[in-house]
Amino acid sequence: MENGFTYSQRLEALLSAKRIQTEKKIAKFGRTIDVDDRGNLVVPDDFVFSPVPNHSSGGFFGPYACGMNYKKLLHEHPVTVDENTGLLGSWMVMLIDYKKPLWNPDIRFTHLHKEQKMYDIVHGIGGVQHFLADYSLGLQLGFNGIREKIRFYEKSSDASKKEFYYGLNECVAGIYDYITRHIARARELAEQINDKDRSDNLNILADMNEELLKRPARTFHEAVQWMAWFLVAGDMYNGGASAIGDIDRILKPYYDNDVRQGILTEEQAIFYICNFLIIDNAYCQIGGCDEFGKDNTNELSHIVLEAVHKMKIPASVCVRVHENIDKDFFYKSVKYLLTDRTGSPNFIGDKAMTEGFMRNGYSRELAVTRVKCGCHWCAIPGKEYTLNDIVKINFVAVFDTAFKDMMNSGNQPSVQLLWDTFVRHINRAVKVTAEGMDFQIEHMHEVFPELLMDLLCEGPIEKGMDASNGALEYINLCVDGAGLAVVADSFAALEKRIEINNQLTWGQIDQALKNNYDGYEDIRLMMKNSDHYGNGGTIADTYAQKIVKEFVTAVKKEPTPNGHNMIPGLFSWANTIPMGKAVGATPNGRLAFTPISHGANPLPGFKDSGALTAMANAVASVQCGYGNTVPIQLEINPVTLKGEEGIATMMTFIYAYLNKMGGTLMNINIMDKEKLLDAHKDPSKYPELIVRVTGFCAYFALLSEDFRKLVVDRMINE
Amino acid sequence: MNKTYGCIFDIQRFSLHDGPGIRTTIFFKGCNLRCFWCHNPESINLQPEIQVYAHKCIHCGKCITVCPQNAIYKNGSSFVFSRDLCMKCGKCVDSCYTNARVMAGKTVSASEVMSEIMKDEPFYNDNQGGVTFSGGEPMLQPGFLKTLLVACKEKKIHTAVDTAGNVAFEKFAEIAPYTDLFLYDIKCVDEKKHKQVTGSNNKKILANLVLLDEIAKEIIIRIPIIPGMNDTDEDMHAIGILLRNLKKVTKVQLLPFHNMAESKYESMGMEYKAKDLSAPKKERMQQFASIISSYDINAIAIS
Repeated sequence: MENGFTYSQRLEALLSAKRIQTEKKIAKFGRTIDVDDRGNLVVPDDFVFSPVPNHSSGGFFGPYACGMNYKKLLHEHPVTVDENTGLLGSWMVMLIDYKKPLWNPDIRFTHLHKEQKMYDIVHGIGGVQHFLADYSLGLQLGFNGIREKIRFYEKSSDASKKEFYYGLNECVAGIYDYITRHIARARELAEQINDKDRSDNLNILADMNEELLKRPARTFHEAVQWMAWFLVAGDMYNGGASAIGDIDRILKPYYDNDVRQGILTEEQAIFYICNFLIIDNAYCQIGGCDEFGKDNTNELSHIVLEAVHKMKIPASVCVRVHENIDKDFFYKSVKYLLTDRTGSPNFIGDKAMTEGFMRNGYSRELAVTRVKCGCHWCAIPGKEYTLNDIVKINFVAVFDTAFKDMMNSGNQPSVQLLWDTFVRHINRAVKVTAEGMDFQIEHMHEVFPELLMDLLCEGPIEKGMDASNGALEYINLCVDGAGLAVVADSFAALEKRIEINNQLTWGQIDQALKNNYDGYEDIRLMMKNSDHYGNGGTIADTYAQKIVKEFVTAVKKEPTPNGHNMIPGLFSWANTIPMGKAVGATPNGRLAFTPISHGANPLPGFKDSGALTAMANAVASVQCGYGNTVPIQLEINPVTLKGEEGIATMMTFIYAYLNKMGGTLMNINIMDKEKLLDAHKDPSKYPELIVRVTGFCAYFALLSEDFRKLVVDRMINE
Repeated sequence: MNKTYGCIFDIQRFSLHDGPGIRTTIFFKGCNLRCFWCHNPESINLQPEIQVYAHKCIHCGKCITVCPQNAIYKNGSSFVFSRDLCMKCGKCVDSCYTNARVMAGKTVSASEVMSEIMKDEPFYNDNQGGVTFSGGEPMLQPGFLKTLLVACKEKKIHTAVDTAGNVAFEKFAEIAPYTDLFLYDIKCVDEKKHKQVTGSNNKKILANLVLLDEIAKEIIIRIPIIPGMNDTDEDMHAIGILLRNLKKVTKVQLLPFHNMAESKYESMGMEYKAKDLSAPKKERMQQFASIISSYDINAIAIS
């Protein structure tokens, strides 16, 4: 039956519609989409949205203008309903895309500019979302409950909160409008098509969604539908809320209830989860354990895994590994990683994440609720403001500053002097970063408040205060370092070539760097072929550990000037390219303006063979230890790990790294090298090739050449 | 352990093909067979020696200036390396900018090797992975080998010894208590042919295997399939007959010839006699495996 209406036929139709969207994206944007595939549809060329400004710059700022413009966008935004769908909900653009300028030019931070630039700090001022909404709370309240809650607290608030509540109300009104228009479209489509199954389905969906506007979800299907709406709504605001967290825990009561009543089969559940992930590729965690170490794996953990396996589209599902992880579940997740070759799932280590977070002074009970919900990060649902993954210090720029500082100081250069200078600058860079984050917390709410996330957090509605402004119970600000290997290898090469072997002088190196090694190729090769971090036991490994120790000390020795806790990590996301462009040649033989090393990974090619365990040891040795991740990025050729033996080997590898060695997060690409190289030459030949770029997976064909090269370079040196 | 030294040419971590699980393989230098297809020509001599990778050379001439023996010199635009003059001091290796000159083999203490082994200890996973001593022929350095085996067993690490078996049986008896698995290489059963292709007859090798079967915990037989040497059905039947009554052999692995060693031969200034051979076909490898399997032996063709 070609046009049948079984779940698998519907899923195939939805996936084929998604393929068409991917092709449209390539045609419209070219190969420039260097972020996650989020499930958004291509906006029609004739769609024009003009936000109403409230500032002479032409921008719109603050809760009033943001809420109002959000409602306007949702009212004007096209709605799409697929005749095969099991859930309503679609989206194309975000309000933030129309926010020009992004930052209010009246709110200046010029006092921070000079040092932010000098250390190439990604400062996070103006950074949005990157914390986690509480979907359990949302499901409990429903949209009407949220509306009632706002009304309740608004009544007893003073005039100063008026604008904020106005903004929240506008957002909820916008969501109501948007859902209502989808319902109307579903009914309209049901009228138009001559297929009873499809027509009935659309009317059932319309009825269900009308109910969801009045009351909270009761069934599994309704709960998934509700979460899809909130995801879509959050994405259309600031790309936010595109994370669910521990989806298997959140949906479990609905699943159990429906199964008990005999109204839900596993096939249906898988279909709804697939449908949900097609609408919005949300970051989810599955598995994990409670505070007593009892395994959390349940039927939903398997269902989510099956859904990702079935679809083979870019996904952001992460398995939380712990000592008592369900063996079948772990086996299946590793098997799908190796055989599907879509970079999913990735694996996070409960031990290091939980115990690390506790070192900030939190209980184990709280720490286990801090779940994986972003590229490399975790957050406590609805209770924690984090600025995760948007604040980064470029270690290479700090090193560069220190090197120039030393050479210009008039003192006799030495590796020790360079090290001391570097440590001084790292401390200063952290300080400047902290001041920037305080500035964000003071002012972001005046610029672009987190109105959507506020709806599903504890505090904002109650206090009439934005999440970015300190309304949440916990503030733990993420500060990531980037480019570790370049700096460690640079220190090691200087020490070896100048001070141990007496092969070069400081003057020669200085000249070579100033000339970007032009005319100094022999020196460049000599520096490049020195020790490399990652081999274990080399000078470079020692430097890597020392650098991280100093960085962690600098981040942890005191909170921000306003008293907020900071948590260190190492992750460059995909900033390796722009961060490289900010820094000249380095003593490890790296040419000026070329990419820096990725996160805490050793440089590609650091070792001839056996690199996997060596890399695992190296990255395990530079963990920051406070519950934020220092991910390891691995590229593995599938011929290395074949069949059942391959699965067993990978299980051993992952288990050891996360449970015994203190590892936090593993991002793994299983990638046929020949295929990847061929796709790099002509991406259009492989429209469905999926790669793990860093913390996210994407269609290879949608990436820019720079990004494709980033992945290819790592693979070549595998 | 600090006082026991040996010569090795590589330590490979995350090794997946030399025994079960994730392993660290220690490659001993020195071998008493001269198999013409040898995949590791740098393993043959017992002493360290210099490898030269010409494609990496930038012709800077640094090596010429540091060589105390004048063993490197320019001839027109190319560099000549006289191995006869070289005393393997390694000065050219240390001064090479591009790692075009490397030293194959170094003398290390047992404790240095152990510290490298221990780096991957978390991955050995309760005897599903461990350490493999390979080569070359590890049993040509028996004292060094035994020290390492004992040290591994003290740490409860699974041990494997990859051997061609061409040593006195007493050497096996010495190490068997500390060896969880022998990877035992068989080239061919025919004595004359064996002598022809490896330079030694196989009497001792075959006899040792039978004796080892009495004292070993486990044996895996490894057979390199070399075109023209042992790639006939008869060769496989002979191996099947040889192995069918052995009790400790759990598996036979057939390893196809490959010519990836060519650049290594060039780097050593050695003639590569197997250059023109091509890898046996997958289907043929499967057939060989089924022949051996017909003797009630678990045989697998490795691709």
